[in-house]
Amino acid sequence: MLRNRLITVLTFNDGTLFRTKLFEPDYRYTHNFVDSWSVDEIVMLDVTRDPMADRRAFYDVVTQFARECFVPLAVGGGIRTLDDARRMMAVGGDKVVVNTGAVERPELITEIAEAYGSQCVVLSIDARKSDALDGGYEVFSHFAGNPTGMTPGDWAREGERLGAGEIMITSVERDGSLQGYDLTLCRLVSNAVSVPVLGMAGAGNWKHFVEGVEQGGLSAVCTQNIYHFTETSIASAKKFMEKKGIPVRL
Amino acid sequence: MIGIVDYGLGNLTSVAGAVSKLGFEPHITSNADALTSADKLVLPGVGAFPDGMANLAERGLIDVLNDLVLKRRKPILGICLGFQLLGRSSEEFRHTGGLGWIDAAVTRLKPGDPELRVPHVGWNDLTQTRPDCILFDGVADQSLFYFVHSYCMETPPDGSQVGTCDYGRPFTAAVQKGSVFGTQFHPEKSQQAGLTLLNNFLEKA
Repeated sequence: MLRNRLITVLTFNDGTLFRTKLFEPDYRYTHNFVDSWSVDEIVMLDVTRDPMADRRAFYDVVTQFARECFVPLAVGGGIRTLDDARRMMAVGGDKVVVNTGAVERPELITEIAEAYGSQCVVLSIDARKSDALDGGYEVFSHFAGNPTGMTPGDWAREGERLGAGEIMITSVERDGSLQGYDLTLCRLVSNAVSVPVLGMAGAGNWKHFVEGVEQGGLSAVCTQNIYHFTETSIASAKKFMEKKGIPVRL
Repeated sequence: MIGIVDYGLGNLTSVAGAVSKLGFEPHITSNADALTSADKLVLPGVGAFPDGMANLAERGLIDVLNDLVLKRRKPILGICLGFQLLGRSSEEFRHTGGLGWIDAAVTRLKPGDPELRVPHVGWNDLTQTRPDCILFDGVADQSLFYFVHSYCMETPPDGSQVGTCDYGRPFTAAVQKGSVFGTQFHPEKSQQAGLTLLNNFLEKA
């Protein structure tokens, strides 16, 4: 049976690991590490905001991880062109994560899917509640700063049509909140597409993972709050999920 | 030296990384002489089947591989798309002929359960239909491996299937026919079980 995945998301600024709260850097938990044997997959995002920034420090970190982590690595941050994606693959990524680049130029998804296959393209969608869309959810790009006028369901469907193999949905309001995933948002997106959906932002305890799968319809639950995840905590989280009837890899 | 066939598709560095972690010397190359002097070959790759065959042809690698694998019996391990290319043909985008070393077609993964999402992404159990295959030395039956694919290989009629996976219905997840080996899953991304399986190929094939 296919297992639900527990994915660790690592964000980097100028090659330095940190976590975020409400999309702002929070460096308190930099000195942590990933249990590279229990985690099912790792997402590494370069959130350096300067578009002209030198990304070499980030590439180096990816290469180091790729050497030691024998699980899939999805890599993203600032990908605007097929060449950017190629570069991320060359330093050790197995998949690339696109967000703002795909909002600006949706055909980017197709270009990467044609070169590497759909399974290599994760469309990351940041969404928050918005008055602009009748109090529904709206997709935001550019580090959640730019309203796009699109609903997450529509954008996810369009992303799938263009060739995205997975959708990663992030609730802007839940980022760093530890209040649990926005289950309504997760369900909305998982109902909209037939590709796997990864849920992100808000997980504060292990119960939230179970809810994400059962109520949010998520194939994979992501967490960025790495201070929960030292040494054995990923393994314990998965044992908890299994006890609650979620198939996981122990 | 382990020749990792570079045909311009996918993440070759992961495979190379796992090979060197296991103490072997990987050489990513599309050069016929280098591939000829390799002890063993790995045909990795992610991407679409037609591109895979076109890229192999463009680099003159189909004749080279036919010679090395079929005539000289050099062991080869196909992974993911590289595994599918071992088959007779694929329906991905359009009907495309494969290397044809394994007599089986590659078709769209259609899970029996409409709730099951495609692509099939993540960790799933491998059932060893031929547990005596050397790939499985020290690998427990039903070990979990990492899969990511939308197409899958039908059951080859010649008994070369050594492992299956179930996603709505069973499909061919591993094959061996003489010195030709292949896995739909990614051993280089499947933690300890994957490294053990890869090491079996590198050491014992």
